[in-house]
Amino acid sequence: MISILTVSLVPLALGLFLFHSEALGPNALPLLSTYMALPLVAALASFWAPARLARWATLFFASAQLGLALKIFCLYQTALGGYQFTEQFPGLEGLGLHYALGVDGLSAPLLILVSAVYWAGVLASWDSPARPKEYFAFFSLMTAGAAGAFLSLDLFFFFLFYELDILPMFLLIGIWGSGRKQYAATKFALYLVGGSALILVGFLALHFASGINSFDIRVLGDLAQTGFSPAFQNFWFPVLGVGFGVLLALIPFHTWSPDAYASAPTAASMMNAGVLKTLGGYGLLRVALPALPDGAKHWLPLFAVLAVLNMLYASLVALRQKDIKYVVAYSSVAHCGYLVLGICTLEATGFSGAALQMVSQGLLTAFAFGLVGLIENRTGTRQWEQLGGLSALAPVLGGLFMLNTMANVGLPGFSSFVAEFMVFLGAFRSGFEGGFAILKILFPIAVTAIVIGAVYYLRLMQNVFFGPVRRPTEGPFVDLRSREILPLVLLLVLSLAIGLYPKPWADMVNSSLVPLIDHLGGFK
Amino acid sequence: MIEFSAFQTEIWLIATALLIIGVGLFLPGQKKAMDWLALLGVLGALLTLPCSGSRCGAVVCAMPPEAFHGFLRVDGLAVFFKGLILLGTFLALVASFRYLDSQAVRHRSEFLAILLFSAAGATSLAGSQELITLYVSLETLTISSFLLAAFLKKDKASNEAGLKYLLLGAFSSALLLFGFSYLYGLTGTTVIAEMGKSLLAQPSSAIEVLAVILVVAGLAFKISLAPFHMWTPDVYEGAPLPVTAYLSVVSKIAGFAALARIFWVGLTAPALLPVWTGLFAVLAALSMILGNLEALPQTNLKRLMGYSSIAQAGYLVTGLLAGGTLGIGALLFYLAAYLFANLGVFLVAAVVSSKTGGERIVDYAGLWKREPFLAAVLTAGLFSLAGLPPFAGFAGKWFLFSAAVAKGYTWLALLGVLFSAVSLYYYLQIVRQALLAEPKDPSPIEAGLLEKCVLGFCLMAIVLFGFWPTPIAQWAQSAASSLF
Repeated sequence: MISILTVSLVPLALGLFLFHSEALGPNALPLLSTYMALPLVAALASFWAPARLARWATLFFASAQLGLALKIFCLYQTALGGYQFTEQFPGLEGLGLHYALGVDGLSAPLLILVSAVYWAGVLASWDSPARPKEYFAFFSLMTAGAAGAFLSLDLFFFFLFYELDILPMFLLIGIWGSGRKQYAATKFALYLVGGSALILVGFLALHFASGINSFDIRVLGDLAQTGFSPAFQNFWFPVLGVGFGVLLALIPFHTWSPDAYASAPTAASMMNAGVLKTLGGYGLLRVALPALPDGAKHWLPLFAVLAVLNMLYASLVALRQKDIKYVVAYSSVAHCGYLVLGICTLEATGFSGAALQMVSQGLLTAFAFGLVGLIENRTGTRQWEQLGGLSALAPVLGGLFMLNTMANVGLPGFSSFVAEFMVFLGAFRSGFEGGFAILKILFPIAVTAIVIGAVYYLRLMQNVFFGPVRRPTEGPFVDLRSREILPLVLLLVLSLAIGLYPKPWADMVNSSLVPLIDHLGGFK
Repeated sequence: MIEFSAFQTEIWLIATALLIIGVGLFLPGQKKAMDWLALLGVLGALLTLPCSGSRCGAVVCAMPPEAFHGFLRVDGLAVFFKGLILLGTFLALVASFRYLDSQAVRHRSEFLAILLFSAAGATSLAGSQELITLYVSLETLTISSFLLAAFLKKDKASNEAGLKYLLLGAFSSALLLFGFSYLYGLTGTTVIAEMGKSLLAQPSSAIEVLAVILVVAGLAFKISLAPFHMWTPDVYEGAPLPVTAYLSVVSKIAGFAALARIFWVGLTAPALLPVWTGLFAVLAALSMILGNLEALPQTNLKRLMGYSSIAQAGYLVTGLLAGGTLGIGALLFYLAAYLFANLGVFLVAAVVSSKTGGERIVDYAGLWKREPFLAAVLTAGLFSLAGLPPFAGFAGKWFLFSAAVAKGYTWLALLGVLFSAVSLYYYLQIVRQALLAEPKDPSPIEAGLLEKCVLGFCLMAIVLFGFWPTPIAQWAQSAASSLF
């Protein structure tokens, strides 16, 4: 435990204080590229290091990356807004490609999410999986892909980094997964590649229809320069919307996600459900809405219907699941509905809610999957009907699961409360104050879905942790060790930080969302 | 004046081939010597390229070396194509050594020599500026390929492959030559550039259009575009594995060299342009659709790769259609990416099948337990063919489809992207066997040092071109600029 703390805190401090400080000169290393490259270095290191050191190497770089994420978050100047720490290198001018990274109010909190889930995921898979070198290398590669996608300002690199996630995730499910892992892995890869085919075509269409030889997100989001016709926007918005919708597990494109999450090893589920899915919402806010505002106004009501269907349908399905991991998987699908609903309000509060929901559902889903992994590890089963009274045996596990239930139900104090409240407020305003009239109908349905969410989580809590002790195997039951608690605590603390004092986070996301709302021009 | 530097690549290859035949005649037991001679010959030919005046093609010379009244000229494009062809030949040679041993092929020297003759035909095709030279080069390539396809004399499938290839190849060559004869009759010249000028000057006629259709059909056979693709799966399945590898890459690259030169230099007249671009657009779409859909139910790796290569030809044609330095540059880049990915896969297949004797997909079950490195190269190669990042095929497809969209072929790009997603399904079947399934026979598969080095080189190229495509893409564009 002490060695884990040392290997975590030293690089964390290095990332926070030493790096990029005056001691190394003003621009010793490009900040964002280093942030993106750290998991790549970790992947190489764990691949070349001896097998027993792979996890230590990964932990080292993951902690350093977490330090950098905190540093970027602290250094980002909310008052200035816009893209900061931008880095740009010339690329293929003839094709309009260039490598450009930047961070703004929307992506800075997401970097913390990426690094926190990465760090927690490494610790969650600490008890060496088979072939640890490859395992940690693929896990790091996935993180690098997510980090790169959040930072890219060029559509080519955005797409490249996003697709970089698919192969490692496929292997993580297929090799280290459980249950119908080959089926789940193949389904995952085919769905995501199918979705990304739409995204790719949409990106190319934006590029060529703009008449500007550039893939720069900043340029393509500037209507004065691109001047897409409304007909063009109406045609291409749903293409991009469905492409990102597959990633978001939006109904009816969601069927890959519960299978993938339930079959994947714990850390991969955490990263995929927590971070990768968020990328879909991020893509909508970052690319589709700014470039195609008229198309968005035309199509968002339909997406709002899908979002509410997501909440309702996934919650109802979760109610019927016997496998705890499937319950959490469907719950994560349901929570993405809030995110999409927030975007569909086309209103400032709703947007902030959506952005906070990205971070919040990422943290909490990762938290829930981490807990499920521990329950399975202790009891050898994931069928909740076989379990009961665990909190008598393991009070810490029970306590953490109670907090998880409260957070997922959306009690005040947790980030989910703030995010969901803002989404609902936005939906209400949009519906009743001249936005999308359909939200008037959808709003009460969405609130009902929250209640269903409370039902399945509370029932799970009651069955698994209260009542007489039931478990399939006998023998001693060890409560959580400090090494297992540590990653969960990090995720929980971050969620509470947002929930108890949301102002800095909300200000930060608003610094890039308020200009976006102005750009979209409100309702016509 | 004849400059030898214009065809020194071919001289190297043919001299090596003759030397190998000599060794085979007088020292038939010296297998290793023949192998190394063949490799050195190809490497030597590769080293002549920078001396061909174009400085690796990065800087295109004002006066590229030419011979026989300009019938052969080694411009930047020719250097790029020759480089690809020689690399492909080198990799196919490496794949063939162990395979020849395992099949106990008796006439090793002949196999190697015919392969080199065939490569010489392909390289000289890349530099041909004239229809007859081009045709003779093409026939040198294809007739040698017929022999190679039928090389396993005792094997029925190999004989069938050779015969099918011969009949359909001869038929397509006849179509091509028929088309050429009309073009010559119309313009009075066989030099492609002059033919283009002459066609621009004269009013369009129905016979011109007929000639173009014949040439399109003839060359579509060679690069196996649907609906002229029927021979491909049978020949690929029946031919010896290294020959399949060679055909799938070198013969395709040579076909595209001919296509780029004939169509973008010779047939750019405004009346003809819509004819052949329209035809090729339809053929490309058909190839993507049929190639990918027919690949889905396949269980034999070679046959699957045959259908995959039909689909890949469809993607490549979008670059040809787009034209310009962007389109042809994208075509060249994708050919390079395709070369390393496809030959990487075939090299792995050669090593595996020489150990297990099987060529079905299920024979790759649990490859990662038997030799992880082979499984890694196989995965990278197949994912690159499917166009997933961070591999070369992704950057290649991005360039191809963005060039296609830029020239108004949005529907074709859309089709290409969607069918790339379909293609992932059958590539995944192989990857799934190799990485996720348990081996039936867990005994390790040992790859030789040479094979490992070459596989490592392929893997490096696949990953490097994907992460950092800029230098090779710029080189491809500057090579393409010698056409326009």
